[in-house]
Amino acid sequence: MEGRRVAVIHGPNLNMLGKREIGIYGGKTMDQINQEIQTEAAKLKVELSFFQSNSEGGLVDYIHSCAGRIDGIVLNAGAYTHYSVALRDAIGAVKIPTVEVHISNIYKREIFRHTSLIAPVCIGQVCGFGSHSYILGLRALMEEKFDPWLV
Amino acid sequence: MEKKYMVISGPNLNLLGTRKVSIYGEGSLEDIHEGLRKRADELGVQVDCFQFNSEGDIIDCLQKATGNYAGVIINAGALAHYSYALRSAIGSMLVPCVEVFISNVHAREEFRHKSVIAPVCVGVIGGFGKKSYILALEALVNLENK
Repeated sequence: MEGRRVAVIHGPNLNMLGKREIGIYGGKTMDQINQEIQTEAAKLKVELSFFQSNSEGGLVDYIHSCAGRIDGIVLNAGAYTHYSVALRDAIGAVKIPTVEVHISNIYKREIFRHTSLIAPVCIGQVCGFGSHSYILGLRALMEEKFDPWLV
Repeated sequence: MEKKYMVISGPNLNLLGTRKVSIYGEGSLEDIHEGLRKRADELGVQVDCFQFNSEGDIIDCLQKATGNYAGVIINAGALAHYSYALRSAIGSMLVPCVEVFISNVHAREEFRHKSVIAPVCVGVIGGFGKKSYILALEALVNLENK
């Protein structure tokens, strides 16, 4: 899987990591987490692109721009996970294998966070392991093929 | 002494590789256990792998985890969606538990979208075939090293 190009996408409020609700999201900043992912990517010989936006439209635009140049996406869509039909449609449209990740275990939290609109169009989900969720998500993308798991 | 992790697969997972191959893949459960043992070796830990079709047997097994294992990986199969007894058993453990699924349950029937055990687990990994188990082991070992 050497040379695979992966986009790591952070959604709304993740630029505030390390500064807000540290009890839930941990004390690491987004840049520190990106650094950890970069270190893992170097081991896996994967080329990364990082993106963060607070805007739903910004995320949709970026996902569209991945078509043809990105082989896999690690996506933490933040709160948009739970209600953005537009994001779901964007992932479905580009048909790039996407892994949904969350820092916290969303199933331990408020009921509105138990539903993910993007999960059905992703290959799978990793949640609850802090910044390590991103690393595991990246490793998940390293499989030779995703069938029959990719529904 | 090497850390030991308990791996439990629930009902019907003994049939892996023989039923609904389009959903669950061609590999057998023994292939999964073999892959886990190999990865455990690389990580310098041990795994004990179990499979039970009976809910009570899983509970009996989980009750042995605290004190004997550093963590538990569970694929509860269909029980994930309705077994409050499993939830209580996991909630009573003093070691971390990771829930895994082979398929992406969110892309399947609605009754599979809810897991009653997820809230008492550290985290959930699903959709990556047998790799879900490997990633769960990596997650548990990483928790331990923190």
